[in-house]
Amino acid sequence: MAFYFKLTSSIFLLAFLLFPVLASNDPSFDETLKVGWALADITPDRPVLIAGQFHARLSEGVLDPVSATVLAMESGVGNQTKKVVWISCDLVGISDGTRGGANIRDRIREQVIRLEPSLSPGQIIINATHTHAAPLVSSVDKIEEVYGVSLEKIASGGDAMPPAEYIDFAADRIAKATKEAWNSRKKGGVSFGLAHAVVSMNRLQALHTGKSVMYGNTNNPDFSHIEGHEDHSLNLMYFWDENRKLTGLIINVAAPSQVSEHSYQLSGDFWHDTKEELKKRYGMDIHILGQASAAGDLSPHVMIGGKAEERMQRLLGFEEDGTGRGSLGQRKQIALRISDAVTSIYPVMKDNINWNPEFAHRVAELQLSRRLLSIEDVTEAKKEAEEWQKRYQDMLDDLEKNPEKIKEARWYRDITISHSRLRRGLVVKERYELEKTEPKLPIEVHVLRIGEAVFATNPFELYLDYGMQMKARSPATQTFIVQLTGSGSYLPTKRSIAGGAYGAVPASTLIGPEGGRELVDQTLSLIESLW
Amino acid sequence: MIGTEIRKIKSWLIENLIPWQFLLLVLFGAYQNQLSATTSQGLRIGTASIDITPPLPAAVDGQMRLRVATIAETALLANVVVLELKDDFGKLDVSVLISCDLVTIPYELRDKIRESVAFSIPELDTRKIIINATHTHTGGVIRDGWYAIPDTVTQAVDYQNLVSRQVTRAVAVAWKKRDFGSISWGMGHAKVAYIRRAVYKDGSAKMYGKTNQDDFRKMEGYEDQSIFSLFFWDQAGKLIATCINVSSPAQIVESRSTIHADYWDPVRQGLQKKFGSDLVVLGWIGAAGDQTPRPMYDQFAELRMVELRQNNSSPEFESGSESVNFRSDSYLDEVGDRIVNAVMQTYDTVSKDQYREVVFDHAVEEIDLPMRLVTEEEYHNSKKLRDEDLNDNYRAIEFSRRIAFYDEVVKRFENQQKIQQPMYPVEIHALRIGDVVICTNPFEMFTDFGIQIKARSRALQTFIIQLVGPGTYLATKEALAGGHYSAIVESNRVGPEGGQILVDHTISMISALWPK
Repeated sequence: MAFYFKLTSSIFLLAFLLFPVLASNDPSFDETLKVGWALADITPDRPVLIAGQFHARLSEGVLDPVSATVLAMESGVGNQTKKVVWISCDLVGISDGTRGGANIRDRIREQVIRLEPSLSPGQIIINATHTHAAPLVSSVDKIEEVYGVSLEKIASGGDAMPPAEYIDFAADRIAKATKEAWNSRKKGGVSFGLAHAVVSMNRLQALHTGKSVMYGNTNNPDFSHIEGHEDHSLNLMYFWDENRKLTGLIINVAAPSQVSEHSYQLSGDFWHDTKEELKKRYGMDIHILGQASAAGDLSPHVMIGGKAEERMQRLLGFEEDGTGRGSLGQRKQIALRISDAVTSIYPVMKDNINWNPEFAHRVAELQLSRRLLSIEDVTEAKKEAEEWQKRYQDMLDDLEKNPEKIKEARWYRDITISHSRLRRGLVVKERYELEKTEPKLPIEVHVLRIGEAVFATNPFELYLDYGMQMKARSPATQTFIVQLTGSGSYLPTKRSIAGGAYGAVPASTLIGPEGGRELVDQTLSLIESLW
Repeated sequence: MIGTEIRKIKSWLIENLIPWQFLLLVLFGAYQNQLSATTSQGLRIGTASIDITPPLPAAVDGQMRLRVATIAETALLANVVVLELKDDFGKLDVSVLISCDLVTIPYELRDKIRESVAFSIPELDTRKIIINATHTHTGGVIRDGWYAIPDTVTQAVDYQNLVSRQVTRAVAVAWKKRDFGSISWGMGHAKVAYIRRAVYKDGSAKMYGKTNQDDFRKMEGYEDQSIFSLFFWDQAGKLIATCINVSSPAQIVESRSTIHADYWDPVRQGLQKKFGSDLVVLGWIGAAGDQTPRPMYDQFAELRMVELRQNNSSPEFESGSESVNFRSDSYLDEVGDRIVNAVMQTYDTVSKDQYREVVFDHAVEEIDLPMRLVTEEEYHNSKKLRDEDLNDNYRAIEFSRRIAFYDEVVKRFENQQKIQQPMYPVEIHALRIGDVVICTNPFEMFTDFGIQIKARSRALQTFIIQLVGPGTYLATKEALAGGHYSAIVESNRVGPEGGQILVDHTISMISALWPK
């Protein structure tokens, strides 16, 4: 299977190079825009492993559907049209072969092109909303290698869909939806605007000692300040049909959708509630394409004033849904905030539709410097791995002595944490060795100009400071940064590495501040080439 | 002796009371403790608003350069809420909240107001009067000796006297009007605060530094977008006052040479349209020493939205140009709308959760904070800059504020030769009302300190009011490392160590307002 994915990755990488999608910036070019939308339900009908935590979680039903929203765009007329398909998936990340053998990105592209040969791989952009309650797509290895126990045992002998099978299932459904979106494209207009909503908070707390922690207790004399910045801007793009009826929206928010991050039920998280709320306001047939802007150090968890927020959720009438951290009440509150922001600028968006926007797209493979690890990093990680190895082995021995244990509900939680932490420690050594022969990491970046707005992608959980640098220096009126158009891994800042919180430690990162700078500068060069 | 008697009584109770009687006594004791600062009679509320616009022409406070206003674009107001609670034994507790459209509250102004109110209403404990400035940079000069004000223009001392007189009148009106009512509180959000210190590749920071350049790395600190509101209703259920806590100073139009209440003017107008012209709106600025109401990046997108929303037109500008102007009436209206929308959403949510009887407890203390020490190098630098201005005939008048800025450092250093660690006295208030607390400081407090207080406070919501006093920036350790205006010795009386003492002490005061 791994060979198969490597082969397809290579084919698609070659396809990029042979089939460039450089757009014409000739202003005389007819930019008539055609737009099509579709929705793919990618909720599996069997239990699957849920991604997003150290421990395995086997899904125990569906809280709400996980889905992929597809936006097909074509600009121009005749044979010289420019085409882009944007797909937003309720997944934690979009595996792309960078980490492990899984590559749902290329699998989707392959399936799409099989159904719609006029599209090329580089024209298909796929992002994850980072819901932590969706199927695992980051590995096609045996689950025993990933979590230290087999999928069969995790499922207590019952039926469960392996990740490789789920990747095929999701890719197939997404490809069909893409075909549907492509076939349904019609002349449309677009408008873009900026609004604000408080959805995410910076999740890193700097202590007086100079160290930082993720999700620490701020009600603590050691707490000094919040380590980084926050971004409460909401970059919005509205799409209209010829009758000026809203057909769909791109909502770009600097927040991963991980309110329900501990759920054992599948869920699209706050995007589900946002879609429901906006459908109430604008009709059941509108489409919502969610994007997460640079938000590696952000999360929707409230770090200060949680009780006051919870009271507001109760008074808003969400008591029955539950309130506070991780609750449906909080998701609904977020949905209201996003929807109110969308509604607040809706009238001026409707009055300012561009029917013929400049449309330009570039995709490039950037070579970013890997984070240089020291031998001390390796030693420390190895020590940690050994500690987890021992715990894992003890639990494994215990399981062998008590095989009936697998009948207990969620019996696998602790042993899978141990194995994940063990692997996390070992990977530092692997990266240390890799840097010697491959000091650069290739990543795929897209820039898409629509009118005076631009979208710029990256595959990381990108710390906000980098996103802000791009926004501050971009020539576009609005810059939509879209993270997680790949498999993820944190891209921390220098100050965060000094703080040493989760997200900035060697095991969490492929790229460090040096690569971050390269990403910013090279992305800006790409953006500038569209102007 | 007394202790012995108490022990005897306790022994008798334990020996003679049956368990359920004992339990009742314990519960009653706990109840008494809980309601130590409350009453069954409820809170009485009085409100008033009064004009404190200086007679024109008036010098304008807030910039280094002398400005003289001949036009008042809006009125400047002092808004007052009096809260009175009489406990079951007839003991009176009164707090007076006064918000003024001024740049700061010099101590001499505070003391004048307190003396004047004491004369007018002798039963008031004037230490429990909290007076804050909204930090408008287009108010009258209230700081005596800071500017060389021409004789034909309203003088600072005269303006202090006017403000004192007017505020005293307003307090008297509010005192007279006080009556039973109800109260609630809540939180919303609006994007009003933008951190104004940009940090660059070499580690240096700059207030209002450019962000669209290659060496820009990050914004230095945090932003607090929460909008806390307190609402006061009369017995008929009519909203009579609201206190709005925004962690961003009112200085959108700070460079104008006119009188203007800045964004509080559209906020007041917006809310009065909904609730009536007699609604009293108190503007409270949260910890916001490092904040501005103007965007530091994404300026084109922000400006375009302002123009689209306020004027339904899309501005023409070249990307990368320097033509972005947020010191406009349109942007004032935009920020006003944002705050009004947040307050209205909060109002709609919490108006079903009103309280007539609440715990009410007001503590006020004065503490000494260690002053930031002036180094010899800083002394020589300030002395040089001061003398350069003084020796230039034009600058000696036009930049008298800047001269005072440097002169203060010179004098501080000279004082340090006599007292090794000079201390800076500050008055701090902590006022508990129900589940929330209001705490004050006299500084332009950097947001990180305010966040610490909010995070560690026992209250459901912690309203922080800065500039309940004369100001000066209270900057963080990180800011001092970055340097630049607001984090240099000329800008700070108290340094980060003093800031931490202030935070810790404020938290202690807040904690003392709750049962252990």
